[in-house]
Amino acid sequence: MRFFAFSLLALLLLSVESVLVKTFGFEVTRIDVGLALVVYAALRCTTVEGALSAFSVGYLLDVFTGRPTGLYPALAVLVFLLVRGAGVVVDTRSRGPFALFVAVATAGHAVLAVFFTWLTSAEGGQVFSLSAVPLQVILTTLAGQAMWPLLKKIEPGERPEPGLLR
Amino acid sequence: MVGTLLLAPLISYLTTGHRGREPNFIDRAVLFISAPLQAVLTSSIETVGEVGGGYLALRGAHQEAQICRVGLAEAHAELNALREAEAENARLKSLLDYVEDTVDQEIVARVIGLNPSPQFQSIRINRGEDDGVRFGMPVVTAEGAVGHVIRSVSGSADVMLLTDPQSHIGGVIERTRVRVTISGAGGGRPLSLDLVRREDDLKDGDVVVTAGSDGIFPRGVRVGVVRTPERPSVSMFLKATLEPSVELNRVEEVLVIPVTMGIPSPLGLGGKR
Repeated sequence: MRFFAFSLLALLLLSVESVLVKTFGFEVTRIDVGLALVVYAALRCTTVEGALSAFSVGYLLDVFTGRPTGLYPALAVLVFLLVRGAGVVVDTRSRGPFALFVAVATAGHAVLAVFFTWLTSAEGGQVFSLSAVPLQVILTTLAGQAMWPLLKKIEPGERPEPGLLR
Repeated sequence: MVGTLLLAPLISYLTTGHRGREPNFIDRAVLFISAPLQAVLTSSIETVGEVGGGYLALRGAHQEAQICRVGLAEAHAELNALREAEAENARLKSLLDYVEDTVDQEIVARVIGLNPSPQFQSIRINRGEDDGVRFGMPVVTAEGAVGHVIRSVSGSADVMLLTDPQSHIGGVIERTRVRVTISGAGGGRPLSLDLVRREDDLKDGDVVVTAGSDGIFPRGVRVGVVRTPERPSVSMFLKATLEPSVELNRVEEVLVIPVTMGIPSPLGLGGKR
């Protein structure tokens, strides 16, 4: 059920973001609202439910690019697994650690996206830049904090058992 | 299952690369839901902006009206001169038996969203297959070229901007008629001019228009203005950037030109992507 909640929320947030990005004329950077959902799913859901939610968020982002390639679903699931692994050793019940995880996940996601885009591009590395990543990390972390009350509403009643692939 | 969710899209990406895929049932459902939502949000924001802007615009409206009257009179004079020139042009063309390329009526579309991923530079417009928008059609504004359609579904379409790193179009320097290739360099960066020979004449401020040789744009659409041309000491080619004529991330309304000029669909489906 939460999978559908995550998917609907991601669809709504991406629609809103695409309009806001257009309205304010963001040229250099974007806000990865979907990643905050992926991080939350990694920290609070069961493995299957969280992975499905992450895949769905990535799939939606892929569709929104206009040229779906499969890159973003794969990266979303990869980020999900990495955050889940790190979540075993860090207490993530409060806002602070969540913000930290969102920041690190955004940076990692951006670097991986640039790397894979470079890997499959004929133009080589010169056209892809990481200069916008710091701003992207800040904006996504702030967006994650703003979404925190909303995310708490779709939190499961019981926390999953500890373990990486539980 | 988690492994499948990770590996299936990754393998798909690594094998098909940047080509993308035909929109499937789920893609169409997502676009069917999200496009109207984006349109409503865009209209709401614009309405709020217009109400606020309308109040501010009232201040000094009298002076502005005076300026507009003068401008209108000048425009009328210019229009009359252009009508005469057009009539003369038509007479001369008929003398030369020149056949005008006929193009169907352009499709006016409103931009309802900007792609939220920084790796791809694209916009979404509120016209799609139902309105005759097809894969490969060029998209312009009155100021110049914007990009071309990369996906069209029933009620919306996505347009790859000129600034996308995968965008390459043919251009001509208006002053010297030197042919160039215009490539996107990613968000926030100007376009780059490629394959301009060292000995060619290129100056800061030169206007570049489309060459009509790329299978996307018709000839003569303004693309931008040359900035900072350099002659590297060891290269065969000049280095220069191009400032786009259109502010691509702030464009609100566009025209889709209903010609595809033979550009193939990535999946060979006759351009109806």
